Amino acid sequence: MSAITLKDIRKSYAGGPQILHGVSMDIQHGEFIVIVGPSGCGKSTLLRLLAGLDPCEQGELLIDGKRANDLPPQDRDIGMIFQNYALYPHMTVLENIAFGLELRKVPKVERLKRARSVAETLQLTSYLDRKPGALSGGQRQRVAMGRAMARDCSTFLMDEPLSNLDNALRVAMRTEIKDLHRQLGATIIYVTHDQTEALSLADRVAVMKDGHLQQFDTPDMIYDQPVNRFVAGFLGSPAMNFVPSDCIDDWGGARDIDVGFRPEALSLNRSPVSGPSIAARVVLTEMTGATFIVHCESEAGRLSAVVARGEELPHEGDKIWLSLDPSQVLCFDAISGVRLDLPVVHHSQMPKTHVKETA
Amino acid sequence: MKPENPFVAVLALVAGLLFLSPVLYSIWMSFQTADAYYTGNIDFTFRNYEMAIGQYNFARYLVNSVIVSGLVTLIGLAVATCAAFAFARYTFAGSNLLFGAVVATLMIPSHITLIPNYLTLAKAGLLDTYAGLVLPAVSNGFAAFFLRQFIRGIPRALDEAAYMDGASPLKVLWRVIIPLSKPAILSMGLYIFISEWNNYIWPLVAIGREDLYTLQIGLARLYRVNPGEDIIDWPLVMAASTITILPVLVGFILVERHLIRGMMMGAVK
Repeated sequence: MSAITLKDIRKSYAGGPQILHGVSMDIQHGEFIVIVGPSGCGKSTLLRLLAGLDPCEQGELLIDGKRANDLPPQDRDIGMIFQNYALYPHMTVLENIAFGLELRKVPKVERLKRARSVAETLQLTSYLDRKPGALSGGQRQRVAMGRAMARDCSTFLMDEPLSNLDNALRVAMRTEIKDLHRQLGATIIYVTHDQTEALSLADRVAVMKDGHLQQFDTPDMIYDQPVNRFVAGFLGSPAMNFVPSDCIDDWGGARDIDVGFRPEALSLNRSPVSGPSIAARVVLTEMTGATFIVHCESEAGRLSAVVARGEELPHEGDKIWLSLDPSQVLCFDAISGVRLDLPVVHHSQMPKTHVKETA
Repeated sequence: MKPENPFVAVLALVAGLLFLSPVLYSIWMSFQTADAYYTGNIDFTFRNYEMAIGQYNFARYLVNSVIVSGLVTLIGLAVATCAAFAFARYTFAGSNLLFGAVVATLMIPSHITLIPNYLTLAKAGLLDTYAGLVLPAVSNGFAAFFLRQFIRGIPRALDEAAYMDGASPLKVLWRVIIPLSKPAILSMGLYIFISEWNNYIWPLVAIGREDLYTLQIGLARLYRVNPGEDIIDWPLVMAASTITILPVLVGFILVERHLIRGMMMGAVK
């Protein structure tokens, strides 16, 4: 039986636009689900419906097979970690962690024992008597996690829990969350707008846009087989390049479509090459650490390519030819944006023709 | 906080003494005999306090004032806090209209409600009782308005976190909202207590029994019962006044420390 099932969930607030347009998902026990999408796509609203903080009037929400649309938050066996931590400022760390147990009438000795044990797991033992105001961002985040963990819930909801942390701490906490998921074995539903978090944490990723669920699949599938242009462009950094097929020289595939290719699928050439390619001029190079991102201007617009360190790097203003690996190319309908399963034309099969010069 | 500029310090001291001088003068006068006061001599005595407490029954009035003001404060705060929580956190049919009605009560002078209140309590048989003194004062529109504005400033995420932890709405109010609203509740409590402590008109109207007099009624009565024919015994009146203001002063000093302490640090990032 699924841990959580969403059937055609719709949501709109009184006098406002519709926020969710029929979202359906089937989440298994122990899965790590990441809901990702741009701001305003409805991901936090979906999480609040799951938590019971907002009423779920349209569609059906099942928790462990039972209808939970009208179940109050305290009866859902769900713990939630808020974006802004929402720690009780008048309580100490220990009291914050033990509060949920106190409300559930767990005897004092037992609840303090459990709170201390959770604090130990999260390395908070030295801060038990401190109030949230005296903690750093990372420590507060850990207390928020401890508060949910102490209750031993079957499902945890996390609403952008790392968005207030600096980059180094975010990477460290990401690993900790992944470790905790392995230890606890609980179902986690995690909301973020950060695609790196989504791809690195999730067993399955749900990509949302404007209240519609675009794709719900494993990170590999989302990255390699996006269902549409939005999903393809949203995940991956730098973002996927999209070019009308007419702008690619020696393009042997279908016409009047948009061709998508990731920056790492491009090769940089100093002279015209055979096979599908695009002539471009280098406008900027960015060092990201292990690689360089080369931003180019072409007839089809701005394109980016990734070059490994150590490889020869073009200079700004240089004219180059970007050749495409046809096996890594995705085709999208130019109007609807839906991915098209068109036959891949291999490089070796391409006729050798002269490369057109760009203006 | 110490002012860095000595000129500001001296100015603050002078201003403080200026404001305090009537109080200090009346306390000093309360320890003088009437003869010494009227002849310009100095004759230190506790007799005025003995007379006020013993002969003029101020101990009883003090107890009555503490009971009435204390009950009005406690019940008034409980009612206002619950109303403020509901208005701040819940939207229900007619909630804005109801809140508007609560705020509109601030525009009605208390003298207008004097006679209707009197008639209502007379019908209920509550004149000349503590209940008759307390009940008309427990609904306080200003307190409900003030606390509602304060509660609206508390992040809603804290309520939601408590609901997720398993709290009922009443538990959220008791364990989260009230502790975080402590500065506002204390200042409102002090305001209600002082207003009720100084209330003169309503006890005058509602109470005829001498054993239920509050300090303000007792103090006014003192002018009429002083021993001289045309002369008011000012040292005695000042002793009674000191008894009247002292509990409020002590209360303020005790509460003031809490009023200035911020409670919201670290709640959310």
